[in-house]
Amino acid sequence: MAKGDEQARPDRAPPEPEGPRQVTKFEFNLLRILRFLVGHFPADQGLQFVRTPLTRPECLSAGAVELVKDTLSKASVLFLTRAGGWRNDKYLRNNQPAPGRVWDRIPLDERALQFSRPVLDFLLWLTAEKVHETKQAWDAAPKALTPADELFFALAFDAMRSDPDVLTVLRRKDTFVRNPFCWIMNPADVAEPDGNRPQPPDFAPVFAGQRAVLLECLQTHLTVRWTRTERAKGQIGDWRKMRQQGAAEFVALQGFLGAAEAARRTDLARFVLRTNAQVLQSDMTPVFWTGGLQGSGPPRLADRLETQRAALAVPRQMEILETWQERARYVGYFDDDYQASQMWKADWEAVNGDRVAARARAAVEMLEPLRGPTAAQTAAAADRAAGENPEGSPG
Amino acid sequence: MSRAYRITVKESESRNLKADDEICTQLEILEILPPEDMATLLKEELKKRGFGEQDDGTMVRKDEGCTVAIDPCSGEVTVKAETAATVNQEAKREATGFNDVGPNEKSLREKVKEQLKQDLDKKFDQEQTKLQGKATEALEKHLQELQPEISGVVNQVTRDALKQKAQQMGTVKEISEDAESGSLTIKVEV
Repeated sequence: MAKGDEQARPDRAPPEPEGPRQVTKFEFNLLRILRFLVGHFPADQGLQFVRTPLTRPECLSAGAVELVKDTLSKASVLFLTRAGGWRNDKYLRNNQPAPGRVWDRIPLDERALQFSRPVLDFLLWLTAEKVHETKQAWDAAPKALTPADELFFALAFDAMRSDPDVLTVLRRKDTFVRNPFCWIMNPADVAEPDGNRPQPPDFAPVFAGQRAVLLECLQTHLTVRWTRTERAKGQIGDWRKMRQQGAAEFVALQGFLGAAEAARRTDLARFVLRTNAQVLQSDMTPVFWTGGLQGSGPPRLADRLETQRAALAVPRQMEILETWQERARYVGYFDDDYQASQMWKADWEAVNGDRVAARARAAVEMLEPLRGPTAAQTAAAADRAAGENPEGSPG
Repeated sequence: MSRAYRITVKESESRNLKADDEICTQLEILEILPPEDMATLLKEELKKRGFGEQDDGTMVRKDEGCTVAIDPCSGEVTVKAETAATVNQEAKREATGFNDVGPNEKSLREKVKEQLKQDLDKKFDQEQTKLQGKATEALEKHLQELQPEISGVVNQVTRDALKQKAQQMGTVKEISEDAESGSLTIKVEV
């Protein structure tokens, strides 16, 4: 290359070394763990590394740090793109619908991910310690975390939650317990199993800045996750587990929807609407959710009822979404929220929200004691029966 | 020479056991009239059915060990069943001690007493479970009996509210009710 060319580009990065970079055994494990946490390495082998302690070195080599940075940046962007960022979708920006893929809608400086020190500290701790028999405590102050850090920790939690020992340790750390992304992705696992009432974090910060952008990318991913969880509920045999899971889901979604409404970002709650639409594709009874429960359950009727109500945590959210729809119907052309409400109505109609809400209400009410058919309901049911057949019915 | 002796300890205890079970649910009252008017109609209907008004505005009725409380403003219904019983339990244990080697009589007696206490606790726990079962059974039975009555209350309140609404809209010309189908037809001249 000509000398003049080199002078013209003085800030150029040093050339890549030929062949693979040299790293120590500790660094090798750390990189493997990182790749496992972001979903690029088999879980069983990754968890094996997490369970194996190694003596922590004084510092990491520059090459290893570069590899960590490279993995974090590429894996996070790849995850967000695959999770839904690639979709040509519409989301609210300054209360106006903004169409396009995430890189079309959001300027680069607003979507550039920044990882901070706690991520590297966590990786060092995870590599050096036997997590479930740790000698050195590790945790990070939730307020010190960047949005990208929170996303990383949510992915890390998701990757490691299958190991009960590790899960018990992670559940005690504020980094995960106060992380809103963890609560939206895995409420049942992040909530304390013996806690009477799960305590989710404040969801308000998720609806501003880069966290909101991350949430836009995650909508499809969350819909798939929640749908899978709902469909798997029929396999839960343990009453206590069902109650704990349902209670955690209920408070998480209530907190999330409340914050979405306050921030006027109803578009970020699409996954709740779409999950219900996916699950309630036909008229359903509560047995769909509670059919797997074994035995007669707790001796008290109050506890049994509470468990069954908890099982229907997701359909119960349709009540809130219905109020949003009702409000959106009355927003006039000259009102500030006209565009936003039009967008919500379009989302609602796209999934046939009225029908989904009616099915959710019917399933929830079937559980309620003292709800006999009133005259109005009987007449409405007769009209319905005359007018249409439920999906999946033979005639 | 080693001599064996036998200690027999007998304990009896009497406890007042209580068990309860309750459910909370919501009445489905349609908003035909303003909420306060609907609450008044509900209150009147409940009074007719033997409910008494409490200081906090809730309507309460006690039937055979079950208490039904309805808040006319919010429509919240609480049905609670309570059972209580005074239970006597006895337990007896024997232990063998030796006068030379092994625990002395005092420590042996204390150990047996401790075991007896656990035996008694277990027996009371079983009684508590039985009592709990009774309370739950009573609640379930009462709910079955209560359900048609509550449906009747809701229907009656809805009918009364519709009649009032019709009167507010104009002159009521004709009212026809079919008790079997539950239909109500009101002709109004506006």
